[in-house]
Amino acid sequence: MKGRLAVLWLLVGIPLLWGVMKTLQNAMKLFQ
Amino acid sequence: MTASFLDRENTVAPPEFNRFLVPPAALAVHLCIGQAYAFSTFNLPLTKLIGISASAPGDWDLKQVGWIFSIAIVFLGSSAAVFGRWVERVGPRRSMFASALCFGGGFLVSAVGIHLHQLWIIYLGYGVLGGCGLGIGYISPVSTLIKWFPDRPGMATGMAIMGFGGGALIAAPLSVLLMAHFKTATSNGVLETFVTMGVIYFMFMMIGVYAVRVPAPDWKPAGWTAPARPKQLVTSANVAVDMAWRTPQFWLLWVVLCMNVTAGIGVLGQASPMIQEIFTGRVTPAAAAGFVGLISLFNMIGRFFWASTSDYIGRRNTYMIFFLLGILLYSTVPTLGHLGSIPLFVAAFCIILSMYGGGFATIPAYLRDMFGTYQVGAIHGRLLTAWSVAGVLGPVLVNYIRQFQIDSGVAKAQAYSITMYIMCGLLLIGFLCNFAMRAVNEKYFYRGSTQS
Repeated sequence: MKGRLAVLWLLVGIPLLWGVMKTLQNAMKLFQ
Repeated sequence: MTASFLDRENTVAPPEFNRFLVPPAALAVHLCIGQAYAFSTFNLPLTKLIGISASAPGDWDLKQVGWIFSIAIVFLGSSAAVFGRWVERVGPRRSMFASALCFGGGFLVSAVGIHLHQLWIIYLGYGVLGGCGLGIGYISPVSTLIKWFPDRPGMATGMAIMGFGGGALIAAPLSVLLMAHFKTATSNGVLETFVTMGVIYFMFMMIGVYAVRVPAPDWKPAGWTAPARPKQLVTSANVAVDMAWRTPQFWLLWVVLCMNVTAGIGVLGQASPMIQEIFTGRVTPAAAAGFVGLISLFNMIGRFFWASTSDYIGRRNTYMIFFLLGILLYSTVPTLGHLGSIPLFVAAFCIILSMYGGGFATIPAYLRDMFGTYQVGAIHGRLLTAWSVAGVLGPVLVNYIRQFQIDSGVAKAQAYSITMYIMCGLLLIGFLCNFAMRAVNEKYFYRGSTQS
């Protein structure tokens, strides 16, 4: 059950973190 | 896949099931349908389908293309209202599956529209079919999460609805990447991107379909007992959906949501030109795009933060903060513009947009407090018609008032001041409705069995 929990959270977490990272990269231009 | 796999009876969790498996299932759906917020990345490419690098005669214009998103939002609200009771009856798995079919299918039908260069097919595909996928998908996991987390309903629904905000953060760069990948001398890559996204989103939403479970009827979190004396404005009774919309509380909450969303959505849609016009010459289009991304990030964070906070301070108090702090911030924005302080201006809008997202994420738990868990998903669906109204009202207010100001000779940098004060007025109406909230009268309570 714990393995399944980790896999599921990784499946949704990785794309979300990628999106957040890309957004922050773009947002940096605001303060340059 | 057999039909029975989708039935509610086959989604009842075994006793050892870990309830923290349900939020990622809900996120798998919301992260996909949240793509809707990033649909504007397709607007310009859709106006260059014939000309490829620039619009050519026969290409659609921005106004025509803009209707795709508007139709989708209208169908989001209407399908959530119409199918809410069906979602409650068939359970989260079948409704998430229906949402995946509609949303993924909407992209594929739209791809046909692009191929044939028929805009009405895209209106029908992404607008109507995709919009139904948005509405059904949005409400599918809500009542299930509330039942799994009776001790933290705000946090649970906040987690799922955070995904709707996060979906845009993924979809915007993903769309740009895919269009660049598929671009050729004869195609700007939109058609191929639509097909790819339709397939990816369908498959990703199926993760949620497979993972979602409903709790057994008598299930409770280990060691948790319902409080003997519920807090004020938290009911232990249930109100059926057909009765709920006859209560004054439903309409007060409708106005509360509508005012909160109207104030936020108008700004979100005009954020890029607004910051460029207020700080003329100091903010480039690329920096303005960064500003839009940043406030979208706070829109997402606010969904989890405020909904979780509402579990501790109460829903009514949370909305009091939204409205009072919102009025304070909106009334300060024109001054920040005059002062020329970009960091303070950005900070104000980050907080404003966090409360916009927080409003969406806290409303399911507010509904659960007022009407119980019995048909909270269906009641939530009907309340989302407020979103459809706000989706039209917000941008219209911001755009038309700005244009009226400019036409009357006001400088572009000052054209948003009146709009901000009107937003304060809207938030004041929301504050008064929230202030007037009282517990639902017992005459509306549902007396039958809530197990079916």
